[in-house]
Amino acid sequence: MSALSWVIVAIPLGLALAVLVVPSRAGRYATAIGSITCAACIGVLLVRIAGGEGRLDALSALFLAPVAIVYGSVGLYCLWYVRAEPIGANGEERYRREFLALTNAFACAEIVVPLLSNMAALWVALEVTTILAALLVRLQGSDAALEAAWKYLLVASCGLALGLIGVVVLYASGTGALGSHYAPLWSSFMAVSSKLDSNALRLAFIFALIGFGTKMGLAPMHTWLPDAHGAGPTPTSAMLSGVLLSDALYVILRFAAIANAALGTGMTQRSFFIVGLLSLFVGAFFLLRQRDIKRMLAYSSIEHMGIIACGLAFGAPLALAGALLHVVNHAAAKALAFYGAGRLAARYDTREIERIRGAATILPISGTLFAMAALALAGMPPFGPFRSELMILSGGFSGLAWPVAIVVVGLLLVAFAGITRWTIAMTAGAAPQGVQRGDRDPAAIAAMVAVFTVVLVIGLYVPTPLAVLIANAGAIVRGHP
Amino acid sequence: MSLHELTVPQAMAGTIAMLLLLVQLALFRSVVIPEFIRLYAVQSWLVAAICLGAGITEHAWDLIVLAILTALFKGLLLPGYMRALVRGISMRIELPARVNVLLSLIIAGALIGVSILTAVQLPLLGGIFLANADLATTLSIVFTGFLLAILRPNAVAQVIAFLTLENGLFFGTITLAPGLPFIIGVLLLIDVLAAVVVFAILVRALVGSQAAASVSLFERLRG
Repeated sequence: MSALSWVIVAIPLGLALAVLVVPSRAGRYATAIGSITCAACIGVLLVRIAGGEGRLDALSALFLAPVAIVYGSVGLYCLWYVRAEPIGANGEERYRREFLALTNAFACAEIVVPLLSNMAALWVALEVTTILAALLVRLQGSDAALEAAWKYLLVASCGLALGLIGVVVLYASGTGALGSHYAPLWSSFMAVSSKLDSNALRLAFIFALIGFGTKMGLAPMHTWLPDAHGAGPTPTSAMLSGVLLSDALYVILRFAAIANAALGTGMTQRSFFIVGLLSLFVGAFFLLRQRDIKRMLAYSSIEHMGIIACGLAFGAPLALAGALLHVVNHAAAKALAFYGAGRLAARYDTREIERIRGAATILPISGTLFAMAALALAGMPPFGPFRSELMILSGGFSGLAWPVAIVVVGLLLVAFAGITRWTIAMTAGAAPQGVQRGDRDPAAIAAMVAVFTVVLVIGLYVPTPLAVLIANAGAIVRGHP
Repeated sequence: MSLHELTVPQAMAGTIAMLLLLVQLALFRSVVIPEFIRLYAVQSWLVAAICLGAGITEHAWDLIVLAILTALFKGLLLPGYMRALVRGISMRIELPARVNVLLSLIIAGALIGVSILTAVQLPLLGGIFLANADLATTLSIVFTGFLLAILRPNAVAQVIAFLTLENGLFFGTITLAPGLPFIIGVLLLIDVLAAVVVFAILVRALVGSQAAASVSLFERLRG
């Protein structure tokens, strides 16, 4: 790793330890400053890698972008959140310190995943994210939080167990070409991909897709996701949805790249079609019947993972680029939506959609930004997700898979109906009596505005370094780095 | 390869693999928590034995150290800790099961059949016993571990099912990828640590609710 990579890892790790020993007020400010610094360092690193410098490849670099967006804004958001939501069974101060420490540690683990090139170490890093995320979900101490944490740990750990079988099978298949003792680096497998056994590669990819797909929230392995997102603290939900899902996708893409290089893209595309359409179906139809604002956003995550999987399945370079861009767009839009949901839930003292009305009047800035985020997630122009979804669909219609693209359009319309229906209900209309009006929390608003800027800018114009990274990452996924 | 062509270490590894599977099947007919914990301890000793065997035949000191750590941590300390934790929650209460023992054994047998059929398709290299048999054993333990977790709606039983599944993974990693000793060590610690954390949090919470660790309490959230 380069010196800058070490700095990027050291900041959240140092913060995770430091916030345990300083008062939570100081910890909040340290987290905000540290996370913004970390995000800025990641930005510098991405520009360098796009310019051909640095040791990381484009795929690793691209998957650092969601961390920069979400972690950078979470630190700012926590300035408000930790003060406003002192919920916890262990006392406020202890709860706040634990929350900040776990949040920084969680961010550190999420950053480490794309930086690792050794797939066994990468598996360990993903397992660490599971433990930290479960502890964060459990932190609020309610029965629902305990249940969600329990479910998440069991389902995600079992999923990762299957993922590890994929790693082991791949390692065993590589012993013929690489010897009995070797470091399982992605680059090593790519170099000898033509010598790997095709059946073993297929099995390894399927195990990786099911195993890491569980962590990514792909249907039918998604059952932990709505519960964990619903029960966890709002910043945790943003980090789970915006970053952790993409970290799991990153690992799947590494397996896909090896399989594509050795076997061609047919097998991986068929597999992505199955899980993609299923996830899109589950996400879209469950969106229609949600009653809880955070669970609604969780199902939206499942839907968006389905869109990304379909983009990978279409195979056309434009669709693949759209899928990779959608990873970044989804992280930004979903973080914004969760931040808004957290603000609404705190002000209305409920997460029930039925009881949230007139949000644009009660919280003029946060409510409006939440509505923008929801519309962006629904695929409305001029936001980033619209651009990437359009790229995916254009790629789909340009190839032989156009009948599938028609099905995808249909499911996207269902999801659009679900999200806009609830969003209009929450933001428009008359506000209930007794709910205080006013939006005077500058830190939370600053976090939301920062992320909204990303959502809007990518919708209007893809910055050149990001476009370069996407093009190079797409070549890696196709198996032609 | 016919039976008479097996070397002594290969035959011993095969025997231990068979014993691992038998212990896994014994869990399906087990009805009380202490027996569950005891069977898990036996299984952990068996994977420690296979790790030790791999270490000796491969002359790998890290695998030998790992075997000793496995025996101590997973064979002794963890079962002891689990016994202490569950002592307060009706040790003799019969564990619930979603289907009867015979049917659960038939399903487990079918999963083992699927595992064998899957494994024989692959011309893998590098197994310390026979690569296909190693993979078949790994898949069998992992799949039946899933089944056990599904069929026993009890928190303690589900944690032990997860730990047996992890034993299967450990077996697979040692036998199919012996070149990964350091990572395996990290993996071992983190995986078991995760299970211990869950176990402690959960059992304490459920003891508080006097529910004998039944996961029937956990049915509000539906995914």
